[in-house]
Amino acid sequence: MQFVIEHSYLIPLLPLIGAIIAGLFGAKMLKGQSHWPIWAGVGASALMAIVLLLGMLGHSTPPIPGAPPAINHAIERMIPQTNHLQTYSSHWFNWIVAGDDSFQFKAAAGAFIDPLTAVMLAVVCGIGFLITVFAAGYMKGEAGYFRFFAYLGLFIFSMTCLVMGDNLIMLYLGWEGVGLCSYLLIGYYYDKPAAREAAKKAFIVNRIGDFGFAIGILLIFYCFGTVSYFGDGVGTGTGFIEMAMNGKFRTGIDLTLAAQLLSIIPFALMLGAFGKSAQFPLYVWLPDAMEGPTPVSALIHAATMVTAGVYMLTRLSTLFVGNHAAMVTIAVVGAFTAILAGSIALKQNDLKRVFAYSTVSQLGFMFVGVGVLNPVAAIFHLVTHAFFKALLFLSSGVVMHATGGELDLRKMSGMRKVLPITNVLILMGCLALSGFPLFSGFWSKDEIVHSAGSRSAVLYIVLLVTALFTAYYTFRLYFRVFQGPKHVPAPDEGQHDAEHDAAVQHTQHEHNHEPMLMILPLVVLALGAIFAGMINLPFNAGMPAHSLGHFLGQSPSFAYGYQVAEKAYGVGTVDTAGFGQIAHDTNAVGEFNVAPLVIGGVVALLGIGLAFFLHLANRKQGDALSHKLAGIGHALEQKYWVDEIYQWFIIEPLRLIGRLLGFIDRFVVDGVVFLAGLIPQLAGYALKFSTQRGYLQGYALSMMLGLAVILLWVLI
Amino acid sequence: MPDLFTKIALQHYLIVGALMFSIGMIGFMCRRNLIIMFLCSELMFQGCAINFVAFGAYWGKLSGQAFVIFILALAAAEAALALAIIVLLFRQKHTVDSQAFRELRG
Repeated sequence: MQFVIEHSYLIPLLPLIGAIIAGLFGAKMLKGQSHWPIWAGVGASALMAIVLLLGMLGHSTPPIPGAPPAINHAIERMIPQTNHLQTYSSHWFNWIVAGDDSFQFKAAAGAFIDPLTAVMLAVVCGIGFLITVFAAGYMKGEAGYFRFFAYLGLFIFSMTCLVMGDNLIMLYLGWEGVGLCSYLLIGYYYDKPAAREAAKKAFIVNRIGDFGFAIGILLIFYCFGTVSYFGDGVGTGTGFIEMAMNGKFRTGIDLTLAAQLLSIIPFALMLGAFGKSAQFPLYVWLPDAMEGPTPVSALIHAATMVTAGVYMLTRLSTLFVGNHAAMVTIAVVGAFTAILAGSIALKQNDLKRVFAYSTVSQLGFMFVGVGVLNPVAAIFHLVTHAFFKALLFLSSGVVMHATGGELDLRKMSGMRKVLPITNVLILMGCLALSGFPLFSGFWSKDEIVHSAGSRSAVLYIVLLVTALFTAYYTFRLYFRVFQGPKHVPAPDEGQHDAEHDAAVQHTQHEHNHEPMLMILPLVVLALGAIFAGMINLPFNAGMPAHSLGHFLGQSPSFAYGYQVAEKAYGVGTVDTAGFGQIAHDTNAVGEFNVAPLVIGGVVALLGIGLAFFLHLANRKQGDALSHKLAGIGHALEQKYWVDEIYQWFIIEPLRLIGRLLGFIDRFVVDGVVFLAGLIPQLAGYALKFSTQRGYLQGYALSMMLGLAVILLWVLI
Repeated sequence: MPDLFTKIALQHYLIVGALMFSIGMIGFMCRRNLIIMFLCSELMFQGCAINFVAFGAYWGKLSGQAFVIFILALAAAEAALALAIIVLLFRQKHTVDSQAFRELRG
């Protein structure tokens, strides 16, 4: 572990080197072997990330299970402060330095490593590695094979910079880097118009969010005079996180102005998070992003990139939690997005689109987690969601691989006979997503729902209904596609997109629809989908309860966030477990609340049962019911016409203004410039015909006269 | 008898140089035959050269004469080039009148 911390720069660097090798030599030399540099780079990073995580877990000081809080506090006091907050930082180089000592802008390239970083790195690199392995099987024979892997390497580089960086500029670098990779990979099939449009849409919608994020960074620099999280080190009070906690600003700033700006900063940053993590009103790009290859959907648009917003909110929680309005906004937007996207997913017929809306909905859950002061649950859900959603996307990739790109769930049935292993694996993923008791999604989702319930009844009901929707649409898909009478679309059927021409040929030659290269990563992910919930069980089962929470609690972002929240909401009113802190009075460690778990389980079973009844046991009746509810169904199928509303109320007016400005530019501004250009041109013509007439003697005379004038000037 | 008429001094050389330059200048401006104009420009050239030599001798330094050697070499090269151009111009219009080539003004 010491090695990893000393050489933390290797974690982003190795995938970048892999990407450069694949990008430069892939086209001519490596060709079908282009995955090797990426496997090596990302694999090494994944290894380092896991070593780091295990090492830090080893240094973790979990409270003794069952012991009274007083004893645990005593233990904490005995252990030096640095041990309680587990942080390491390494400085790589000074990236940008400007200004003098009195007011200096400094952005260093360096790593800040704490439990939050370690967890995020393990998710990004670990799942990233599994997906690159899968992609080698899935993308076999594609024209831009090397390009795909070069982009993947670049993505892992950007994402690791994002989660490791010790200042906002590094975060922003990674933020924009992953946005760029997302754009490139959505537009991977650039000869497909839909893919090009989707790529542009993702990029432009993200710009709106990033604009807010950039404003937020500028305001933070203006208020605190630094963009570094912890400045010279945790506890020195020089980074803006600690300054915000202590209510300090940079010297020389007007304090009333700073206080006003401080109340705006969370909203600016939030806009960035909403864009990147696909929250209402900026979620529209994510469903369209499914035009990219399936491994990309799994890696970028489900497991890692879209969680960057959640990471940012938790990392900067000290700026947020003191601001009631901001926290309420986050929770409400999250809940609204969750139910909106969850309801749209009920009637989508494209496998990947169902999962895309489900991702938006689950991200909404995470935002609610942050908003109701339970960032631990948000990160917990982020981890479990990364496992099961990657699994679900990759499984639907296997289905596409077998059917030649068919994704319409009305056109297939009984796929379990063709894809027996995938059937089991996707069932695990579906159970986890729907929150079936004891699977990973069950634990993490219930923690968020429970926390929301302790804050507001409305949030609680909205989230429970969304959970019901989730279970229903997940199993509607599963029962329709994998169960029932066998009907497999031949590779010739369905739309033929460029994406799967290669895959079609591939499957025709080889009858094995489930190559080992694709199944092995799925097995690992499935194990994660089943058991990832163990890391933060609310009761003692061989390891201390809330292990993840206590681990994350050693991150200064959580510890300081808790202090700020306690100041803002009053001592004892903030759930300590939500920030991974040890309770002051009650014996929260080992506290085990059965009721929310039972309710969550019942809701999940209800949804699954409904799906079973309508989509497996009695499909005819299910179809008849959907005919009766055609009005609602139509609204859901058309995604509430949100895209159309945006088209007519935002895009078209903007386009009109653009046309108008273009007209003004062409005829008014350009006209003035053209007139200014006309003057020397006309003068030139006049001189040409008056003086330059071709008489040599005339030229000579003017030369002599000129000479005479100069002579006179000199002599007199 | 004043010195001016008994002894050849610096002024005499300068007067000759100035005369040669002026004759060349007037000739260049009055004549339209390209060959004559070229000869006149050579005359101006040599007027300047005489000044160099005269001052070189007056100050007892060789640099003035060395400079003139270069001027002569340059004038020879220039003469070859200019006469060749005049021959080519003559082939075009069978005249060496400078007015005939007014269209070259651009």
